[in-house]
Amino acid sequence: MKLHEFQAKALFRNYGIPTPQGELAATVASSIEAANRVGYPCVLKSQVLRGGRGKAGLVKIVHSAEEARTASEFIFASDWKVRRVLVEPAVDHTRELYISFSPDAQSGAHLILASAEGGVEIEELARTAPEKIIRGRIDSARGIMPFEARALAYDLGLSPAAAKNLAPIVERLFKLYVEKDAELAEINPLFLTSQDGFVAADAKISIDDNALFRHPEFQQEDADFDSDIAREAAAEGIPYLQFDGDISLMCAGAGLTTAVYDLVVDFGGRVANYLEFGGPNYRKSVRAMELCVRNNPKVILIVTFGTIARADIMAEGIVEAIGRLHPTCPIVTCIRGTGEEKAHEILRGAGLTPLIDTEEAVRSAVALSKGGRP
Amino acid sequence: MSILIDRTTRTIVMGATGSEGSFWTGHMVELGTQVVAAVTPGKEGERVGEIPVYHSVRRALDARGPADAAMLFVPPRFTKDAVFECLDAGIKLIVTVADGIPLHDALMIRAAARASGTTVIGGNTSGIISPGKAMLGMFPYWIERVYKPGRIGVMTRSGSLTNEVTAMVARAGFGVSTLVGVGGDPVPGMRFAEVLAALERDPETDAAVMIGELGGTMEEEAADMIRTGTFTKPLVAFIGGRNAPQGKRMGHAGAIVSGGKGSALDKMRSLNTAGALTADRASMVGALLSEALHATARTTGIPE
Repeated sequence: MKLHEFQAKALFRNYGIPTPQGELAATVASSIEAANRVGYPCVLKSQVLRGGRGKAGLVKIVHSAEEARTASEFIFASDWKVRRVLVEPAVDHTRELYISFSPDAQSGAHLILASAEGGVEIEELARTAPEKIIRGRIDSARGIMPFEARALAYDLGLSPAAAKNLAPIVERLFKLYVEKDAELAEINPLFLTSQDGFVAADAKISIDDNALFRHPEFQQEDADFDSDIAREAAAEGIPYLQFDGDISLMCAGAGLTTAVYDLVVDFGGRVANYLEFGGPNYRKSVRAMELCVRNNPKVILIVTFGTIARADIMAEGIVEAIGRLHPTCPIVTCIRGTGEEKAHEILRGAGLTPLIDTEEAVRSAVALSKGGRP
Repeated sequence: MSILIDRTTRTIVMGATGSEGSFWTGHMVELGTQVVAAVTPGKEGERVGEIPVYHSVRRALDARGPADAAMLFVPPRFTKDAVFECLDAGIKLIVTVADGIPLHDALMIRAAARASGTTVIGGNTSGIISPGKAMLGMFPYWIERVYKPGRIGVMTRSGSLTNEVTAMVARAGFGVSTLVGVGGDPVPGMRFAEVLAALERDPETDAAVMIGELGGTMEEEAADMIRTGTFTKPLVAFIGGRNAPQGKRMGHAGAIVSGGKGSALDKMRSLNTAGALTADRASMVGALLSEALHATARTTGIPE
């Protein structure tokens, strides 16, 4: 779960990492008022979870109320559906640094990445000037030691005064990253001021979804979902992605659903939604199909090859769903795995043709989506 | 013996008293797995089938003698605790099927396993099976068109795709020596490279099939092993997520392309360059496997 910048910065302040003193605004008028209070020049930063807001012109430096009006009007009118703007004073700085923590799957340690040339995306830096990135591993059982933070600060080539101020920020960011179960905690850019102090100009934090049970303080907002259907699916615990095609995928198993998505695209079809009702959700056929039907697809494609998820129970659920929802589009089924013989009987009994070959099922669904025959 | 497990592997099961745990423990025994004890705190004195239950791993081992492996049917939020209980007891192979282990827990598990030389398989996996011999996990081994004994090692990040692809291996006339589900999490306990090292040493394995997907670097590590000559047997790979849009988390938590890295196509390129064969579709895996084994037979003179 990605946090918005203003949420991440609130966390930073709780952990003693300095940020600019900003204000949150939800309308053009309140953005101008906030800018007047914060003082000029200030920065209007759209609060969106998608990357690329800077390139889209959704982060603007303004020097007057008039500019604040023009900028915020542009931001709120954009098709990014911006709901909030963070208004912050522009901060004088002499240097932009990069620092982040993330997991290192291979070693089981935490990875720290830092650079004295921040301000650009780390991927960009890795491509253009990899020698400017410092990497370190932090033992996941021991945690970060002060000497590790100090060493990093000096390796970045900072003056002793600046290094002394950076080390505690590194430790605090690590503490936040661990205590909040983050999968990423990143400051980019981290401003170095002329007084050798530091200010986090941006904040990127993503919380591990698997650990949300121990962090009730993080709640996904409705507007953060791609669609109403995506939000309802999330509430059910059903993995769901919204697309804009006409073939609704209702599959079991993350890997298989992804492979079916690949095949649909290969065969020239367009996916309306990715819905995965395997694992703990295999008894939720009715709810799953309801969500698919709401996309008004030309065909619903059901592919499963279950182990724990029993094919016969999924087939019963599908037949029940058809009886309750009366979908008007054709349904292609390819249900295999534990209990498949009984499943095929059930499907035949409901007038469906149980297929057992995934590619055949996908071809058939793509043909149906184009108005053809299976 | 097959890699990791066989009929002599003395196994304890944690969480065997739950409905899913007892169902699959029964099947593990039926297939030939030697389950010597079950562990559920508070239930010592009960039995799962014939298997006695103990309060703790230590108590189980004291009563029943040493164990080689532990099978965990434990919910994700308790998995770290269970894994460390087994590590402390010196068990050298641990399989956890839990789906939803917190990332930071998984990191600590991976680090501790490496430090102690323990193999931890999972989470978010069906486990491991050597068809006809033993199983630690949950595989519908009774589906004969998938789980046929043979000489192909299979390693996979996906349970559902395993059935799909392994059915194609069987359809081409091959069977499986050992199938290892490394799981779909971003920080698996055992990585593809470590499975390949075991398959390389295994006299009962002629070739490997890898079922990978977008995200992470495990497929690239496998490619490195081929390039450096650490893995010399034929490898056929199927990588899911070729058409996945960047930045969307398709399915598994581990399956996300970030910063333009870890795409399925990049992985396929790395593997191809290193000399592995890659299948665009699951249905091609069988034919590629035949091709790879024929080529090996030609160069080594070993009859097929």
